[in-house]
Amino acid sequence: MRWWRADLHIHSTLSPCASLTMSPARILNEARRVGLDLIAVCDHNAAENGRYVRRLAGGAPVVLMGMEIQTAEEVEVLAYFTDEESPLLLQEELHRALPDIPCDPELFGDQVVVDEGGEIVRRVERLLLSPVSFTLADIVRRVEQLGGITIPSHVERLPGGLLAVLGLFPEGDWPVAVEIAPWTSLADACRTWPELRQRSIVRNSDAHYPAEIGRAWTEFRLASPTLDEIRNAFRNRDGRNLRPSREAKEEP
Amino acid sequence: MQLAQIAADLGLECLVPLEPEREVRGGYCSDLLSDVLAHTQPGDLWITHQRHLNVVAVGKLREVAGIVFARGLRPSPDVVARAQTERVNLFVSPDPAFEVAGKLYRALHP
Repeated sequence: MRWWRADLHIHSTLSPCASLTMSPARILNEARRVGLDLIAVCDHNAAENGRYVRRLAGGAPVVLMGMEIQTAEEVEVLAYFTDEESPLLLQEELHRALPDIPCDPELFGDQVVVDEGGEIVRRVERLLLSPVSFTLADIVRRVEQLGGITIPSHVERLPGGLLAVLGLFPEGDWPVAVEIAPWTSLADACRTWPELRQRSIVRNSDAHYPAEIGRAWTEFRLASPTLDEIRNAFRNRDGRNLRPSREAKEEP
Repeated sequence: MQLAQIAADLGLECLVPLEPEREVRGGYCSDLLSDVLAHTQPGDLWITHQRHLNVVAVGKLREVAGIVFARGLRPSPDVVARAQTERVNLFVSPDPAFEVAGKLYRALHP
C-alpha cells in the first residue's frame, strides 16, 4: 500500500476548448515532470485520445481511460474505465446523442484525435461541447453497466457543476465522491455546500493547457492503481484513502 | 393574483392542479437551481427548462407558487408524481420562456 499522486481530469487536443499542444506526448511529459503516478484524459463526451496516451505511457504514469460527459441537464460528470472498449463504445452512443451542431474551429477550437507520434488520426466534426440527450441518471447507470465509475466534475462551479446546476445532490447514494475545482478551498466548498462533508472530495487540474498540469491533484492510498482500489478509496474502505491537494491560485 | 387566474391568462396546462387560490407575487426565470435557491422569492412563478427531479425539491424549499416548463417541455412522470406528493404546482406552456415571462409580467403589472 502506498500513496499515488493522481490527476484524473486532463483535457487533450480532442476537447475544442483545450490547446492543440495537448498531444499525448506533451501530456505525458508534463505529467512526469510534476511527478504524477496516475492520470486520466477526460475530453468532453470523448475518450479516444486516452487510448494513445495510455499506449505511449507504457505504465508510467498509469493511465485510466476516462471522459467528461455533459448530461441533458447540462451537468458535467467524469467517467472512468479500466478497459478501452467500454469507453469507446460509450463514446459512440454519446456522439449519436449529441445535437447535430458542426464544430466551427474558428469559434470553438479544433477537435482532433492525435496518436502517440503526434500525428492527426482524424477530426471529430460534431461539436463535442454540447449536452447529450441522456439524463444524469441515464449516464450514471450506463457507465456502471459498462463497469466504470462516475463522479461529478467541479461540483461548485459553473458551467456544469452538479451543485451549481441542480442546487442539491440527487436522491440516493450517488455520488460517493465529487470533484471540486482547482481554485476552491475545501473549507469554502464545505461552508457553501455542507452536504459535501459526507462525500469524498477529490481535486484535479482540469488542465486545458500544458502548464496547468500539476496545479492540483489528489493522492490516493492504494495497493495498486486500479479502478477497484479507487472505488475503495472513495468509500474509505480497507485502509484505502485519499487526500486532495491544496487549492491553486486562481489566474486572473 | 391567484394562480388559477394566471394559469388561464397565460394558457398554462396544469400537470398537478392543487392550489388554485395560491397567490402569485412575482416571477423568476432560471435553469440553474443554485441560482433559483439563492434568488427566488416565495410566491414567485418559476419559469424553466430544467426538468431534473430536483426542481420539485427546489421549488418546495423556496415556496414558489408554481413551476412552468416553457416551450412545451414535459417533465418525466416521476417529476409529476413527486410534485403531487410535495404539493408543488406544475405547469407546461407551449410558449418560449421569454413570452411566458412577458405575459406574466403584463398580468401582474397591468
